[in-house]
Amino acid sequence: MFIEYTWLIPLLPMLCFLIIGFVGQKTPQKGGYIAIAGAAISCILAVLISYEYLTGDAYPAAVTESIHWFTIPGGFEINVGYYVDGLTCMMMLFSSFISTLIFVYSLGYMGEQGERRKRYYAEVSLFLCGMLGLIVSSNFLVMFIFWEVMGLCSYLLIGFWSFRHDDGDEASANAASAAKKAFLVTRLGDVCLMAGLFILLGEFHNLDYASMFDPANIAAVDSDKITIAMLLCFGGVIGKSAQFPLHDWLPDAMAGPTTVSSLIHAATMVKAGVYLVARGYPLFVQDANVMLFVGIIGGVTAFIAATMALNNMNIKRVLAYSTISQLGYMILGLGAGGYLMALGIQHGDAALIAAGTAGMVAGCFHMMNHAFFKALLFMCSGSVIHACGTEDMRLMGGLRKHMPITSITMLLGSLSIAGFPLFSGFWSKDLVLDIALEAGDETVWFTVLWILAVITAFMTAFYMFRMWFMTFMGEERENAQHCHGESPKSMTMPLVVLSVFAVASGFLIMFGLDGIVGIEYTGAAFVVGGAETEGFEYFSELFTNPYTYLTIALALIGIGIAYLMYVKCSINPGKFNKNGESWLYKALSNRWWFPQLYNQISWKFGYGIARGVDYVDRQIIDGTVNGLSGAVVGGGSTVSKMQTGHVQDYSSIVLLGIAVLSVVFLVIAMITGGI
Amino acid sequence: MDVPLLSLLVIIPLIGAVITLFMGGERQKYAKFVALAFAAVTLVLALVVLFTKDFSTLDEYYGWIDTAAMKMGISFSVDGLSILMVFLTSLLVLLVIIFSSAESDRPNYFHTLVLAMEVGLMGVYLASDYFLFYIMWEITLIPMYFMISWYGGPRRHYAAIKFLIYTHVASLVMLIGIFAMGFEVASMLGGPVDFSFDVINDVMPMASETMQSLLFALLFFGFAVKMPAVPFHTWLPDAHTEAPTGGSVLLAGVMLKMGSYGIIRVCLEALPAGAEYWQWVIITIAVVSIIYGAFACIAQKDLKKMVAFSSISHMGMVMLGIGVLNEAGVTFAIFQMFAHGLITGILFMVAGMAGHNFGTREIPLLGGLAGKVPVYATFMMIGFMASLGLPGLVGFWGEFGVIFSFYEFIDANNMIWMIVFCLLSLMLTAGYYLWAMQRTLFGPETTKIDLSHVHDVSKTEFAAMAVLVACVAFFGVWPDAALNFIEPYAHGVASLFGVI
Repeated sequence: MFIEYTWLIPLLPMLCFLIIGFVGQKTPQKGGYIAIAGAAISCILAVLISYEYLTGDAYPAAVTESIHWFTIPGGFEINVGYYVDGLTCMMMLFSSFISTLIFVYSLGYMGEQGERRKRYYAEVSLFLCGMLGLIVSSNFLVMFIFWEVMGLCSYLLIGFWSFRHDDGDEASANAASAAKKAFLVTRLGDVCLMAGLFILLGEFHNLDYASMFDPANIAAVDSDKITIAMLLCFGGVIGKSAQFPLHDWLPDAMAGPTTVSSLIHAATMVKAGVYLVARGYPLFVQDANVMLFVGIIGGVTAFIAATMALNNMNIKRVLAYSTISQLGYMILGLGAGGYLMALGIQHGDAALIAAGTAGMVAGCFHMMNHAFFKALLFMCSGSVIHACGTEDMRLMGGLRKHMPITSITMLLGSLSIAGFPLFSGFWSKDLVLDIALEAGDETVWFTVLWILAVITAFMTAFYMFRMWFMTFMGEERENAQHCHGESPKSMTMPLVVLSVFAVASGFLIMFGLDGIVGIEYTGAAFVVGGAETEGFEYFSELFTNPYTYLTIALALIGIGIAYLMYVKCSINPGKFNKNGESWLYKALSNRWWFPQLYNQISWKFGYGIARGVDYVDRQIIDGTVNGLSGAVVGGGSTVSKMQTGHVQDYSSIVLLGIAVLSVVFLVIAMITGGI
Repeated sequence: MDVPLLSLLVIIPLIGAVITLFMGGERQKYAKFVALAFAAVTLVLALVVLFTKDFSTLDEYYGWIDTAAMKMGISFSVDGLSILMVFLTSLLVLLVIIFSSAESDRPNYFHTLVLAMEVGLMGVYLASDYFLFYIMWEITLIPMYFMISWYGGPRRHYAAIKFLIYTHVASLVMLIGIFAMGFEVASMLGGPVDFSFDVINDVMPMASETMQSLLFALLFFGFAVKMPAVPFHTWLPDAHTEAPTGGSVLLAGVMLKMGSYGIIRVCLEALPAGAEYWQWVIITIAVVSIIYGAFACIAQKDLKKMVAFSSISHMGMVMLGIGVLNEAGVTFAIFQMFAHGLITGILFMVAGMAGHNFGTREIPLLGGLAGKVPVYATFMMIGFMASLGLPGLVGFWGEFGVIFSFYEFIDANNMIWMIVFCLLSLMLTAGYYLWAMQRTLFGPETTKIDLSHVHDVSKTEFAAMAVLVACVAFFGVWPDAALNFIEPYAHGVASLFGVI
């Protein structure tokens, strides 16, 4: 009874966007309560729908309903509708829930922004519409539309302070440039995704999940086309989920308000790419090499991003790099699982297919856990920034006493992301590592990626605790002394709620989450959910695996080193990097020179060619036009000078004419043989 | 129906033009109300036509020149290709009159010119006789010439004469093509030279391929200059830069569409073999226009000139759809014409307002204006986003459909790599719009211009743009509202070609 109203889920925030946009300034909190109401109702609706679906008769078959939208001549049908399966349920639950909390948090965090809050709440509502629409839509094209709507909102919200910034002109110029960069870099991926959709639409004649995920329909299509299409679609994932080499927009995106970083650039939008891979699994697994590519991008991203977080001094930037790194984990998990599933389908090996399912579960599971703990971490950092008025960790320190709630919740979040045993990040991260290692049996690539991922786990523990220690422990530095103390209730309450999830969401895997989101291939169909769950076997499985102890040990060592460096100060970090002079340190501070690379490409390729085109346009093409008209005018005026008005001139010209004509006739006559 | 709706669409603006022409002196401040009334009536009539179930009941024919040697009639008809253009014309003319209500320099003549332009445009889109078509085509030039040279910017005389001569030369070439078609058909059928669309478009496709290709080249040149296609485009940036805002909106919104309308109506309908012969040339010109226009946009410093070049790029998209020569391509080419007309209206209003409201359109002199003029910034953002093809707005479907049909075409020809050009153009389009927004709206507030005189959009300007934004959103969410008109027509055109 609720499931028929799934389309309301994205529509409610859309309605809030319109209400806030038109009359928001007249309402209390400039539309804040409306936005919260919209998100909360969507969340409740999502709960009801999920409950109805998961307990319903149809489960595990997807419930989908589409209406005809329009037709492209040539028999290409475009529909619009909703699609509910286990993956949809998980995604819409955590997205709407976290959004609600973040909107509540915004009441405190954005409280001092005055009239501008109207714009803020309108834009985040539109964003939520985009995210929820992406999740519940029933075909790739509608999904793409919401995908772009989110891109627009991301652009607008990163640029929230792009004019009249409190910190002055430089900060506003910075926000404007970051917003542009985010939009353009993701646009590059989106354009690839669009090309992938063209190919899929051309082959399948529609883009509905229901028909595209049918193995019979897939078999009828040229498999090379699917390979190209999925590689192009993965281009969209690389852009949106900030994967290497298009990852560089995300650190810059931290110029937006921290709530935006938390909502868009940690918990939801950047997950859209991961969701696309999970959603498109039936198509992605048609070629093992595509999945190998996916896995390599994921593993490399996880590693590279973690290195850049090691020496960063900006609290939000550290979290941004860690987000990229964790997204890399998710992509790696999906890639490794997909690789195994692709091989399984190829060879008809049920064990490999089951392993593939486990990989897919690991990726999605990590996506959910990460949404909880990263949203928490960003909101904690926002609380810290709110109190201290700086993002530079070198100016913080000792805040534990001033901000007890923030410090404890952030500690819980950090433990979770670092993979401390029994915290949520531990479960999903180790599952990802596990599946990467398993895929390593098939190809050495995944063994290499597994090693990278294990090193990343170590680095994660180190940089997260470096951040936590620098912020909350040690002596109080400059800004910490002017700290306003703990943040208001509207901000701390969401932190507490989220920290519960950040700690405990990992246990969901033992209560059947894997059966709900995992995709099964039965030979006749791809089915999400309904599988047997392993339940508490995960517990024994992980703790009997020696590699689990390796990652636990590495995490503890990472935390320990951070403690020695930044609390005990018995190890001087300057020793390792020649006080910031070593090339590695410089490479990391310069983000492996990626920003320069982007700049060079856009200036040399974009602006350089544009200047050339402009020159050609003005000088050569328009020059020719003006030259021609000049020749006509000039020729006319030259010839008009012959109009002297003297009869003698005219008669001599007549004579000249007769002479010329006679010669011409003579010549013609001679040639034709008349004479 | 007994009311001659189609002739009224031409006659009512004409009456309005004549009345406003004589409203000099004291009465000139009322000219805008008179013009508004006539434009509104025209729009209502256009809507009546739009909602007529069977367009063929509206056909009108009046004898004009009927001799033993030559037959020319005043005849009007409307179909899926022209109806959207008629609607767009009447809508944009009305909005231009609303938008320009603050025009204080000889307002009566300004409105005369706007309404006279509507007469010509309606005539072009409704005519179903080649000779009438040509006359109406030329009629549009004259008001636009005066519009630029009387109400334009500092280099208006140069721009106006360049516009007039350039496009006039092109129309002469077109005229040769029209006459040649007339005589060719007469020699095939015997009897007088009949210039009606019905006769020529029925018989001409049976002419020899050589003849069709030759005539196609002549006519295509005439239309391509109007569109404009690279390298025959240089009149456009100058004309736009100098034209008043209202003139630019009409010029880009509906006058450029005359070119693509002509290509579909004449070159495709009458000369299908010619179109197939020149197909790759059309596609090459289209792709070059798209990429070249987009790159040129990046280098522009004048906001309006940038928008002008973006028109070249987007009209290239229309030509690309035409060049595919199948049903999907033609459908979405027409859709893109319509979409571009709506979007570019917003863009030129925004660019023009920069001139009135800030005193300059030079992008490097602007900056950080979003805080100062939030409503203006919102409209600029909506316009730019629509133009760069944000899904959910009308521009996306035009681009999506055209590129998809082009993809199908190159896929069939094993040249799938050509999709790269389209993708590049999408990227560049986003690039120049976002960069322009960054430099005008965002960042630190500019100190290079006097911000104390900067003012936000007025009520009339707001109303005009809001209507366009509503249309952009409406047709973006429900593209079928426009596609329903186009599809039967495109189906008919595509049946002239081998592939559907």
